[in-house]
Amino acid sequence: MQKNNMIICRCEEVTYADLKKTKEKYNCTARELKLRTRAGMGYCGGRTCRSAVDKIASSLEKQKEKDIIPLKYQPPVRPVSFADLGGEHK
Amino acid sequence: MTDRRILDHPILGEQKSQKEISFTFNQKEYKGLQGEPIAAALLANGVRTLRYHEESGTPRGIYCNIGHCFECRVIINGKQGQRACLTPLEEGMVIESPAPLPTPVRDWRYENA
Amino acid sequence: MHNGIIIGAGPAGLTAAVTCAENGLDVIVLDEYMRAGGRLLGQLYEQPDGKWWNGIKESERLFQQAVDLGVQFRFGTAVSNIEYLDDMWVIYTEKEVLQTSNLLLATGAAESPVPVPGWTLPGVMSVGAAQVMTNVHRVKPGERGVIIGINVLSAAIAMELQLAGVEVASLTLPRMSEVTDVEAHPKEVMDSLLHVSHMAPSPFVKLGSKFMKGDFMKKMGAAFYPKNGVKMWDIPIQLRKAVIEIYGENQVEGVTLATINSKGDVVPGTEENIAADFVCIAGGLYPLAELAAIAGCPFYLVEELGGYVPLHSEEMETTLDGLYVAGNITGIEGAKVAAAQGHVAGLSIARNNGIRSLDYKIMDAIQHVKTTRDHAYIQFHPQIQKGRSKIQDQWNTYQRNVQEV
Repeated sequence: MQKNNMIICRCEEVTYADLKKTKEKYNCTARELKLRTRAGMGYCGGRTCRSAVDKIASSLEKQKEKDIIPLKYQPPVRPVSFADLGGEHK
Repeated sequence: MTDRRILDHPILGEQKSQKEISFTFNQKEYKGLQGEPIAAALLANGVRTLRYHEESGTPRGIYCNIGHCFECRVIINGKQGQRACLTPLEEGMVIESPAPLPTPVRDWRYENA
Repeated sequence: MHNGIIIGAGPAGLTAAVTCAENGLDVIVLDEYMRAGGRLLGQLYEQPDGKWWNGIKESERLFQQAVDLGVQFRFGTAVSNIEYLDDMWVIYTEKEVLQTSNLLLATGAAESPVPVPGWTLPGVMSVGAAQVMTNVHRVKPGERGVIIGINVLSAAIAMELQLAGVEVASLTLPRMSEVTDVEAHPKEVMDSLLHVSHMAPSPFVKLGSKFMKGDFMKKMGAAFYPKNGVKMWDIPIQLRKAVIEIYGENQVEGVTLATINSKGDVVPGTEENIAADFVCIAGGLYPLAELAAIAGCPFYLVEELGGYVPLHSEEMETTLDGLYVAGNITGIEGAKVAAAQGHVAGLSIARNNGIRSLDYKIMDAIQHVKTTRDHAYIQFHPQIQKGRSKIQDQWNTYQRNVQEV
């Protein structure tokens, strides 16, 4: 298996090549990289791949901000089923 | 199944005896210990593949084993998205692997149109 | 209504719960795992006095102490969101919505990934996963494994696996790429390994620490390091090899190793396959602070603490009213430091609940955190003190800015 085919985001199966190509094409921030590729937007909420996606994105950014988290956290931090939202009675 | 279990440990000692129970995984019957995580019971039976990726169908097993990564999600008694690493095993549980979805969302993207 | 809610039943959360209950507070602890202990559960190592530190026993002891004091526990309960409404923290779980005026986030740490081609195959797991499977659930992760990533945590777990009768074929590096950090660099790894030297009964690291004092020597060490590695606890440690691929049809069958030069680059034509039925990925730990982030805490990146940490004081308060943090969410350290921080947080919560004359106790407890840190047997980051003062400086600056406004 080539290094380029290496999966970075396990949930959405986004590869190293996907991320690198997108980064080069759009010269984007970590957040934009995530939105364009769906890396970190799967079931786990980016808990597993976050730092790897950050690293790919930040290799182009001028300097890393120390007080801004590159990828925002948003609720819910755990998946919530439609049944739980709809108050299905058990 | 005993050889995959660490029954005696040089420091931790003997494993506390737990009740042996039956459950099914993908229609096959297995034995496990009551209250242990489903992932541990399946691994003790030599089962590593817990699900198949929704889009590509690649096999997946446990990754973080403590509930962070959701790689081990299975269908338990009909309820989907349950983590095998932190759900205690109970007698008669019916556990299934989620299969690839018939129409993966990514197919709708314009690149694939 | 509870006087306090604690998210996370690891060493920090449990100790905080005990402290709150001792001060007469009614507290509840939530954890998504099925039992108490968190990452403490998997820990097992021999201390300098020859006694074994058994994480399961320690967890059970703390849990029992909390239960005896009337602390309530909800296991298998994941928190999906928290928000501050009408001077109260509202906590959303799958089953219910809880409220409290004092909320402690003791959510611990998550493992950083080291993506490797083939790492989605069943049989590839984080090193912490293998630890829990082995020590807590007493099921072997496999018969023969390879650990990718050489650090304090993976070295300790390699030894634990061996203790349980699981063969570790190799402890080796990932291939260097844009997504790896210092963990793929032989010299950096050598540097950090010197800090586990006291744990090694074998001559390897001991020799290492004697000869590798200077930076120059470390470079030499990485350059002349024997290609086939050396052994620590009988486990081959290969600083001159990197895994370039994990292979297998439907699950792990082995890894392809290649020789790397002292800079971490692969030497072409040196690839070889080693059979294994499981692979552990050891990228180190980072503070799991997602709930602090959605609550609106300011964050600061402190490499020495393992990543982004929510701004907090020595008294374990965040900048938000009634929101506290303790344990690895504030930086990666051992369980004893986490417990000491939990004690401080518990006292701070009690004081905020109107319990009087706790100021001296809090000062003592803060001192105890420092003493525990100084005497820590395992240090995850050699510059932990520096990291702690960085966050303290940021806190002071923040407080000054707030006062000026």
